Amino acid sequence: MPAPGSYRSCIVAGTVASAVLGALGFSTIGYGAAVVGESRKVEITQKAPSGIDALKAQYRRPASIPFPKDNPYTPEKAALGKKLYFDTRLSVTSAQSCASCHSPGFGWGDGLAVGVGHGMAKLGRHSPTIVNAAWSAIFMWDGRLPTLEDQALGPIQSPGEMNMKLDDLMARLASIPEYKPMFEASFPGQGIKAKTLAQAIATYERTVVSERAPFDVWIEGNEKAISEQAKRGFAVFNGKAQCAACHEGWNFTNEGFQDIGLPSSDIGRGEYLPAVIKMQHAFKTPGLREINRRSPFMHDGSLATLEAVIDHYDHGGVDRPSRSDLMRPLGLTAQEKAELVAFLKTLTSDLEPTAVPVLPR
Amino acid sequence: MRTIALFTCVIVAGFSVGAYAATEVIHQQGRVFSAESVSIKKGDAVTFLNDDSVPHNIMSATKGNEFNLGSQAPGTSTDVTFKEAGDVQVICAIHPRMKMMVKVTD
Repeated sequence: MPAPGSYRSCIVAGTVASAVLGALGFSTIGYGAAVVGESRKVEITQKAPSGIDALKAQYRRPASIPFPKDNPYTPEKAALGKKLYFDTRLSVTSAQSCASCHSPGFGWGDGLAVGVGHGMAKLGRHSPTIVNAAWSAIFMWDGRLPTLEDQALGPIQSPGEMNMKLDDLMARLASIPEYKPMFEASFPGQGIKAKTLAQAIATYERTVVSERAPFDVWIEGNEKAISEQAKRGFAVFNGKAQCAACHEGWNFTNEGFQDIGLPSSDIGRGEYLPAVIKMQHAFKTPGLREINRRSPFMHDGSLATLEAVIDHYDHGGVDRPSRSDLMRPLGLTAQEKAELVAFLKTLTSDLEPTAVPVLPR
Repeated sequence: MRTIALFTCVIVAGFSVGAYAATEVIHQQGRVFSAESVSIKKGDAVTFLNDDSVPHNIMSATKGNEFNLGSQAPGTSTDVTFKEAGDVQVICAIHPRMKMMVKVTD
């Protein structure tokens, strides 16, 4: 069970903080034509889930994968997308594919602190997993791309990553005879275009879904599926540690952007919302599925273990104006930290091996 | 004495109603705006009430009606008065699924 007392005290603390912030912030907000009035304290009632069963219901796996109306699923498209995803010829050197950095062998990441791009040069950020990307609302650590289709073309063209001009890529794909009929079957009459390439890759990526983990079996009612320690960790996750304020729902993310106080100079989302204080050093909240296979952690890959991640949150990170108001010292005990780790480990499934496709010639 | 107290209550109540009468209230519980769209007259206000369990950062970058509430803690209510006619896209900078439109008419 989550500790309702801690939740309530947080709300009270938040209310007091809001009054202070309102008083301080009044002179600094409202930079456009709309006029922002003074903030008021308001009594609110939280509809917290009543009991463990209601809480568990919030973590139930969805029954189907959502595909967008303008790029619906077809088996032909997913099969083509899989070949393209694993095809190194999508990079200018013919040495790197999407799967180089988003590999099924590492929970659909690369197991490195930061990605490695064109010429084996290190990139600035950790390669995020593509697991459960079908449910994402916005893409990249800094949220600069709105759809998975846009995302698919990003690293291909990025000079630091696959460094491939789209015109050159279309010519290269057109020169590979076996691709033509596959594009025709997937996109009749549309040909080999950047749009069809992106739609095929995105369709395949949407099929990459974390499989049932011990946690899911417990959510479905089998009390023996996870340990008592992990169950206590679930309570800490939703209660005292407040992890679920951001890592919520079955995929353990609400896709929000938060500065969690990592000592990095990277401003993340702040590049796109420079006037918004809370977006400086803010990065997209990643999901937690398959987490055991995805170390090292964080947007900069700076924390090697789950224990280090929990220690970071317990400490609260760098206190600066942009830091999320949810970040503060938690006062977790060694036992609670161990319980959290035990719980997090239940989110990893026994992933089936992924067969590398035979590529068109 | 009782009459004065009653009179005061009526006055206070009257002020309160006056203050809220022209205001649409948008709730944010569960990381969702309570309406996808609201229509108001130019010069009217929308009240953004954070009745959620986490902070929000409500803002708009729509030209002529830009605003930024900054981090709005749970249990905080803020009025925004829109001065220009047009469709104003309002978002939460923190939570990208939170989007709504304020339609401001002349």
